[in-house]
Amino acid sequence: MIRLHIAASAPEALATVVPLRAGAPPPAPAAAAVAATGFAGHAGETCEVFAPAGRLLLVGLGDDVAGEAGWHAAGARAAAALLALPRIALDATALVPDQATAFAAGACMRAWRFTRLKTLAEPDAPRLAAIDLLTRTPEALAAAWASFARDLVAEPGNLLTPADFAERLALLTRHGVGVAVLDRAELARQGLGALLAVGAGSAHPPLLAVLRWKGRGTLARTAAPVAFVGKGITFDTGGLCIKPAAGMEEMRADMAGAAACAGAMLALAQRDSPCPAIAVLALAENATGAASYRPGDVLRSLSGRTIEVVDTDAEGRLVLADALAWAVRRYRPRAVIDLATLTGSIVTALGHHRAGLFDSDPALAEAVAAAGEAVGEPVWRMPIGPGHRADLDSDIADLRPRLPGRMQPDACHAAAFLREFVDDTPWAHLDIAGMEQQAEASDLHAVGPTGFGVRLLDRLVAMRFEG
Amino acid sequence: MLDIAFAKPVLPKSGALALLLEQDAAAGSPTAALLEAADAATDGAVSRALATAEFKGRRGQTTTILAPGAGLARVVAVGLGKLAELSDRHAEDAGGHAPPALAREPAAAVATVGLTGAQAASVALGAALRGYRFDRYRTTEKPEDKPKLAKLAVLTAEAAKARDAWTAGRAVAEGVFLSRDLVSEPPNVLTPAEMAERCRKLESLGLKVEVFGPKEMTKLGFGALMGVAMGSACEPRMVVMHWNGAGTGKGRKAAKPLAFVGKGVTFDTGGISIKPAGGMEDMKWDMAGAGAVVGLMATLAGRKAKVDAIGIVGLVENMPSGTAQRPGDVVKTYSGQTVEVINTDAEGRLVLADVLWYCQQKFDPRFMIDLATLTGAIIISLGHEYAGFFSNDDTLSEQLRAAGEATGEQVWRMPLGEAYDKQIKSDIADMKNVGGRPGGAITAAQFIQRFVNGKPWVHLDIAGTAWSSKDSAVTPKGATAFGVRLLDRLVATHFES
Repeated sequence: MIRLHIAASAPEALATVVPLRAGAPPPAPAAAAVAATGFAGHAGETCEVFAPAGRLLLVGLGDDVAGEAGWHAAGARAAAALLALPRIALDATALVPDQATAFAAGACMRAWRFTRLKTLAEPDAPRLAAIDLLTRTPEALAAAWASFARDLVAEPGNLLTPADFAERLALLTRHGVGVAVLDRAELARQGLGALLAVGAGSAHPPLLAVLRWKGRGTLARTAAPVAFVGKGITFDTGGLCIKPAAGMEEMRADMAGAAACAGAMLALAQRDSPCPAIAVLALAENATGAASYRPGDVLRSLSGRTIEVVDTDAEGRLVLADALAWAVRRYRPRAVIDLATLTGSIVTALGHHRAGLFDSDPALAEAVAAAGEAVGEPVWRMPIGPGHRADLDSDIADLRPRLPGRMQPDACHAAAFLREFVDDTPWAHLDIAGMEQQAEASDLHAVGPTGFGVRLLDRLVAMRFEG
Repeated sequence: MLDIAFAKPVLPKSGALALLLEQDAAAGSPTAALLEAADAATDGAVSRALATAEFKGRRGQTTTILAPGAGLARVVAVGLGKLAELSDRHAEDAGGHAPPALAREPAAAVATVGLTGAQAASVALGAALRGYRFDRYRTTEKPEDKPKLAKLAVLTAEAAKARDAWTAGRAVAEGVFLSRDLVSEPPNVLTPAEMAERCRKLESLGLKVEVFGPKEMTKLGFGALMGVAMGSACEPRMVVMHWNGAGTGKGRKAAKPLAFVGKGVTFDTGGISIKPAGGMEDMKWDMAGAGAVVGLMATLAGRKAKVDAIGIVGLVENMPSGTAQRPGDVVKTYSGQTVEVINTDAEGRLVLADVLWYCQQKFDPRFMIDLATLTGAIIISLGHEYAGFFSNDDTLSEQLRAAGEATGEQVWRMPLGEAYDKQIKSDIADMKNVGGRPGGAITAAQFIQRFVNGKPWVHLDIAGTAWSSKDSAVTPKGATAFGVRLLDRLVATHFES
């Protein structure tokens, strides 16, 4: 992951990045050198000078700095130009908090890569691992925790089992986040029948991880927590309804929702958010095995509702059903937001440019959408109609989680299903399938995990739950 | 259509009667007046039967009582829920219960006592819409299997007001029926030329109708539409329908017209990119967008809407043949922009491209709304409960959403954006006609947006809502005519002088 430090000065940084509008004067010591290069501050322009005070990279912003996207791009350009240096500084002293946050986010996004498993030396391998952000903007730190989530998502299924995932959460305790893990015996004792069924076919038993940030000040004492719930299928074969072989390797990323929730908890803790928050991560491997759950099985979920399994590859909504019910019963949260790489349907609907947002509470939905816009993680509100819910009636149990057949609004069905498990808690569901990874590199991102959701959740809490 | 008349609320001496009853009507609800009359005539038999059936009058609850006495053949009680919460849609739904419940009676009455005249007209509309049946091609159906209900008396204390409201309601029902007929017609009967002929018949309602054939469209330069049409033995048509209802009185400037554009693929095999055999018969309704536009224009004319409106439909058949368009072909659209045809089954957007460009250029409309059974992706996105829509105009979008809410033809807005637009970049032409599976309905809308020339515009993807596999309150299964009532309401609420 990329380490991001908020600092007043950066003695260890090997270069300092200065963003400049078109025509703005460069920093005095380097003015003459910059003038000699003809650098004018156009958007996309960069200029590197070795000034007496140290190595400087100027990044042009153009005349009209274009919001979030423009600052992301500028940060990403800076990181791209300096990938060879292990540590750099971003001079954000002249920026307002939103600008500094987006600038840092762009740099972190571009700098991230996953090399832990490469053993052959690559001579030109990027080395950038730490960024000093010269500003007083703690909300910028979420970008680094997005890269923590990206690391988890990138890990292959053999190296990130439910137990491995739980171990990686030790980092959270070092930042003051409480971590508790419910093992299989405890899940059975409490009756999380849906989560247990999904994990039954795997040699790596399912777990429920509970993360708790107490908040501070009055809110810590008086407010119910905000709850995040994440789907954490560490590998999804589809179970007995096994997926086609082609592309199955991508299913290591089917825990991206849980990773995003964990990253968001780190972001809240590191900036010492006043808002109490919990995250409940449903961790399981959906494997084929002699003990696998079957299509046709009827499960008793924690809520007491019975569920007829139609397709073992619709496992995400099952583990979320129990995790949501657990979270709302145990903590009575003021709002619950779940994140899940849930359906192919949402990819058909919204492609790779927006996550699907479903809700039981329009005000919460608007806040989620606004937070997404603010950090450049856009979402689009989708409906749960009465017919979507009616479709889920089962002949033998209370509910079925999906309908057979291809031409189904499965994202709407999944959302209608989840809504049954949140009681009256204001609830929003983000179907992030299609957003958790990207297939092609862009100016902003390497191929692979995006960390989608970390910055959105952190910003949502800042915008809506800290007042 | 059901022959509907409004009459005073008097207990009929014979035949069938539907009683629309408020929840817990016994507690002195005005809706119970005829129930009391029926009880008086039958020694309380009706109320006793309702009590036995545990009929409470919850919205949508129905109970049928056979031969309760006093000459009545059957009494059907229909629950209205709480009267204070009764919306027009609820009143329509209540009316919708009448045709199936009274199907065996040639004549029947519906008691709407306690409802306003306007609500009584809504009941009439619901009954009329639900009573629709397309049986032109049934030749061996036994007479006893046919629904007999032909005349329905709506009993109301406000008969004059109800009749006034029904003038518009009847025009709506007629437009809906025309649209359902067109969509239900099999593709060997309803070719582009045949559909154009049926549009021409709307001249009797006062519409001006122009029909363009292949020669005219080739001359205009409709390369995209003609590319789709060229595989079929059935010639394409474009029909332009004008309704000038705004009037041009003294001191009034003619306002820009509203424009409605429909995709009319009378049968869609997919072309050379042929569809799988299973379910291909459904593709007769790939002209439902055009069907809705025709039904809408008939409605506007039928109720003499005070508005100027243009309806344009692009009518083609998409066939594989030796002369059919191929994947890889590049066509030049009427706008001058070129399109690489990657998939010949993404033909609807090609037809709309030329028709929309023509529409905005020729008529400079206030807005354009197109309707099309365009993508499977919209079904996977929203299912059958909402049509998806896309727009470059937030005000119009909100007006449309509200019209959907009011009529029950619900719509859900979907996004547009540059990132999606990039998915239809072509290596050889200005654009390609498909953008891949992710966001498939959105990239189709992005394609269409390239042909609206910045005009205020809405694209309605009605692939999931044009046809229904099950009966609903006011729509028997089959063609729904989705769009007619939605757009009629939009016009009536916001755009009439």
